[in-house]
Amino acid sequence: MHILRTVLLVLATMLASPALAQGDRPLVITDTRGDRGMLAPYVHARNGIAYLYTSYVFDSLIAQNAKGELVPGLAESWTLSENGLTADLRLNPKASWHDGQPVTAQDAAFTFSYMAQNPYPFASIGNIDRAEAISDHHLRLTLKKRDAGLFSGLLLALPVLPRHIYSSQTDPGHFASPAAATGSGPYRLVEYDKAQGRYALKANPDYYRGKPLFDALMIVTMSDDAALQALNNGEVDVISYLPPERAGDAKAAGRQVVAARSGHVVKIGFNHEEMFADADMRQALAYALDRQAILDITSARGEAALADTGYFQSGSPWRENVADPAYAHDPGHAADLLEKQGLTRGASEKWQRDGVPVTLRLLADGAQARVAQVVTDQLEAFGFTVDLRLMEQAALQAVPTGGDYDLLISSTSTTGDPSDIANRVTGQSWNADRYHGDGRLDAILKEAGQSATPDERLTHLHEFQRLYARELPSLMLLDPVMATAHNDRVDLSFMPDGALIGIPTTIDKSAFVTE
Amino acid sequence: MRVLFGLAAGLLLLLAAQPLMPAYRSSRDVLAPPGRGHLLGTNDIGQDVLTGLLHATPNTVLMALAAAAVATATALIIAGVAAAASATIRNMILRLVDAVQVVPSILVLLFLGTLMQPGLAGLALLLGLTSWHEDVRVALAMLRRELQRENVRFARHMGASRTYCLRRHVMPAIRPALAALYIQNIRQVTLRAAGLAFLGLTDPRLLTWGGMMQDAMDYLYTPAWLWLLLPPALALTSFLLIMLLLTENDPAEARA
Repeated sequence: MHILRTVLLVLATMLASPALAQGDRPLVITDTRGDRGMLAPYVHARNGIAYLYTSYVFDSLIAQNAKGELVPGLAESWTLSENGLTADLRLNPKASWHDGQPVTAQDAAFTFSYMAQNPYPFASIGNIDRAEAISDHHLRLTLKKRDAGLFSGLLLALPVLPRHIYSSQTDPGHFASPAAATGSGPYRLVEYDKAQGRYALKANPDYYRGKPLFDALMIVTMSDDAALQALNNGEVDVISYLPPERAGDAKAAGRQVVAARSGHVVKIGFNHEEMFADADMRQALAYALDRQAILDITSARGEAALADTGYFQSGSPWRENVADPAYAHDPGHAADLLEKQGLTRGASEKWQRDGVPVTLRLLADGAQARVAQVVTDQLEAFGFTVDLRLMEQAALQAVPTGGDYDLLISSTSTTGDPSDIANRVTGQSWNADRYHGDGRLDAILKEAGQSATPDERLTHLHEFQRLYARELPSLMLLDPVMATAHNDRVDLSFMPDGALIGIPTTIDKSAFVTE
Repeated sequence: MRVLFGLAAGLLLLLAAQPLMPAYRSSRDVLAPPGRGHLLGTNDIGQDVLTGLLHATPNTVLMALAAAAVATATALIIAGVAAAASATIRNMILRLVDAVQVVPSILVLLFLGTLMQPGLAGLALLLGLTSWHEDVRVALAMLRRELQRENVRFARHMGASRTYCLRRHVMPAIRPALAALYIQNIRQVTLRAAGLAFLGLTDPRLLTWGGMMQDAMDYLYTPAWLWLLLPPALALTSFLLIMLLLTENDPAEARA
């Protein structure tokens, strides 16, 4: 009993002890999910946030400022030849690795050859024919084809690796010693606690773009409730992803909240090999659904906005600023389209084909359960029988193209450099559109990729946007809002098209580096 | 026992009347508190909680009763075989039960669920067949204790048949304990069924109290938990209480 009392007393003292003084405290950022892996290119977890954290440690040749514009990274300047096939980059001579060695063009050239051997999922270098170091600070890239996204896509995304460390590693997927995290970025990884999902980073005092804004960063795992409590108590500084409906809780405590549409849309994908092979069928479904009602019901507290149907979401720099077809709720028109496709309405207003009732097999990501239920209700009210199944993402990944489904509700990114769009439209991944149609969208995307000028590229992308909204490879439903809560120690904002590879975030490294 | 049948009949009636009940549809009245239009309020996609409770009652209760019956009966049969068998076979059976116990039942459910895509009856059977193993040891201990009692040994000595002894001496003695096992199974099965819907093994619209409670968990930090969590939780609690009272005051036992 006596011991118990002592223990309780000690615990109480520990809990009551005041927080550390503000000045020597690192900037503390919370993450709701745990471990993101070691912060090195081949061993971080395969998701955008892990990639983002790794970018604090590893710089790319090209960087972004807080507005999302391209600014010099390891490369001070760059030029592209007339035919668009040769790029010359001047590397910053002040740049050094965290172990003191200088960053040279040989390191950059090595990175390309190394990634050809050991593919890195966040940077595809298939179009690079040759990467050579002309001198210590002059890198020349030769391309196989023109690539309009070379600078804003690949070179922004590709972390440059230290040759003196990685050249001896034949299996980088298992290279997770502290040396693997030797980068050239503004922060050094000093501590990584896998079990707690905690990262401690220290400013790189020799950073070539000037001293970083904070002496230390700390990333900790916390639930939303704990994080809100800690933010309000001044124990953490940034809640990187706060559910937008909780924004009021943070504002009430005098904290700042920034929010923006994420461009990570919730959409209905179609099985293009069966009932929905024809664009008219997909349009009929779009008219049968009431997207506004889906939004009103599932996002009563402002968690999302109505998505644009032409792929690019409002705010995207690639988007043509016109209203996409809205497919406003029109059951009559939907019925006309279905009847043209040979469907009939049988007894009790149920849709039939050749006298057999039509059952729509609807799969949905478990995270989209509410949207899926509302969609189901609407489709049933319209006269379809619906077989709804909520599944874990792992199970959905195993559903093949043309598999046992008609509709699939998932969420997917529409942000980042457009060189990745072809993958998201024609790719086979479970949340890609898995669409080929008559090949027109493919062709437009190819032309966009090979454009000589940014304007030409935009023209093609706008054409893509119009055709996408008409063909509906997927029907975009909602564009979720993302929010960050923070205190006065930082100034944060969302980039218009997501950071780096299109990650919707406020904690891109541009926020922690002096410009 | 008669009360139980009455209960089951009433539930079947409720199940049959389901098409006549108001539809459980989403609406723009999201998270409305209890009031005139919605006596028990609405949930996060505007579905009426009272309607949901009505739809969920027969599903939950019938499934729980059936699944728990399957589980308890299977456990009893296997324990019976083990009790009657020689020591070697009994040990083999028990090792087998251990082996079943080691395999997480959720894995088995996942596997079978993807193969069969069960409806209400299939789900009850699946849940029953994946929850019996925990009861085998308990049932076996009870059976062996009763079988070794003097009254049974004496009756056997006097020429009574095995079935007579089972019916006359063993079953009445272990009935209260079996009833407790049954109630325990009902509780477990109800909560497990809620998890299955989330794994995509059943139609998520197959409403159960457990499922409603699980959905309510996201709203614990808002006042909405009052009308989202409490009604199904109270329904479940009172159902278990009723079952407890029914099995404790079993008229058949009173007669004996």
